[in-house]
Amino acid sequence: MSGDEMNPAAVAQAVEDIQGDDRWMAQIWRELFSPLHALNFGIGGDTTCNVLWRLQNGELDNIGPKVTVVWVGTNNHEHSAEQVAGGILAIAQLLTSRLPKTKVVVLGLLARGEWPNPLREKNVAVNSFLRSWLPRLGQTQFLDVGAGFVHSDGTISTRDMFDFLHLTAAGYRAIAKPLIDLLRQILEETPEEKRASLL
Amino acid sequence: MHHIANASLTDKVMSSGDSNPAATPTPCVDIQGDGRWMSLHNHFVSNSKDKEPDVLFVGDSLVQLLHQFEVWRELFSPLHALNFGVGGDETQHVLWRLSNGELAHISPKVVVLWVGTHNHGHTAEQICGGIMAIVQLIKDKLPKAYTLVLGVLPRGKMPNPLRERNAQVNKLVKEAVSSLPHASLLNVDPGFVHSDGSISHQDLYDFLHLTPQGYQAVCQPLHAHLKGLLEKQAEN
Repeated sequence: MSGDEMNPAAVAQAVEDIQGDDRWMAQIWRELFSPLHALNFGIGGDTTCNVLWRLQNGELDNIGPKVTVVWVGTNNHEHSAEQVAGGILAIAQLLTSRLPKTKVVVLGLLARGEWPNPLREKNVAVNSFLRSWLPRLGQTQFLDVGAGFVHSDGTISTRDMFDFLHLTAAGYRAIAKPLIDLLRQILEETPEEKRASLL
Repeated sequence: MHHIANASLTDKVMSSGDSNPAATPTPCVDIQGDGRWMSLHNHFVSNSKDKEPDVLFVGDSLVQLLHQFEVWRELFSPLHALNFGVGGDETQHVLWRLSNGELAHISPKVVVLWVGTHNHGHTAEQICGGIMAIVQLIKDKLPKAYTLVLGVLPRGKMPNPLRERNAQVNKLVKEAVSSLPHASLLNVDPGFVHSDGSISHQDLYDFLHLTPQGYQAVCQPLHAHLKGLLEKQAEN
């Protein structure tokens, strides 16, 4: 009506980000790992023994990844920390022997349970063994992604692990950062000739 | 397991106490050593003290994981829903949790109950008895609430005995609630089993748990049904 009224069609307005930054679980893989051409062979509840069996029985037959990320051990309830670390070492050895060109990244076991408990101590011990053993194995490195999950009062928050064991979307985002940085670094180090021969 | 050869349907489904382990409130024993089950239960009890949910979801991993996907925020947060799902829970665990504080501080209008698939070693009759014991408990503690029992989904890549057991559970529960004004069974399986008998990992990534696509297929009709129930509750 009057000249004072703005024409809504002429008011600059950014598109509303309805999804928001609080991305949910399924998007993290798609957003952060799919672009790296990643495959996921994880199975809930697996122990080092189960993973070893799967890798020995076909899962490595048809692929030649430049990097293999190993994350296993928290479910090995029947085994001591030393045995668990030994199982992880065996997996790393199997990978480097079956896939000579792959670099292996072993992720440290996370803390678990709402309060301090024996399984947290066990997982810390496993990580400690891995830190000293893995460097002796060529092409293999250890990455601890667990920093920050245990608060100063000793608790873990359901914001990071919804059941004090499994990561929420926020928890996954936190561990993805150091992991992606390392993966990018390793992938960039792989020379072109090597890349071509892996196809 | 002893079989009650000539028991009537009512006896089978309403059995409770020591005769049916699936209907005997039982906490989870901490065999792993980090006390997570009790931590979660305590969290549910204390978190409910300042919440006023209209809808309570309670059950096993299928309920718990629902909370981690975008579909929760999209469809159920707007309905003021709380999630008391715990992975691995069987009927007797849910029964214990609800008997020990999880319903003490809230008065939801609708309780969505989804449990039974993890009751390994129990017969379909026992599992139905467990589910009906939970329905009865909710009626006792929340006289005005409506309980919506979700049908147990098929599982496994190809046909197997657990699929038959779950289908039988749904059949028995449907019959048992048919006479109750405060409860019903909703079949939320959109047709996960294909004509060749297989289930796709696109719907159930490990042939048990739902992918985001699987959750969408289950939750859209569930959401519509819930809205209808809430509107009816408001009218009463």
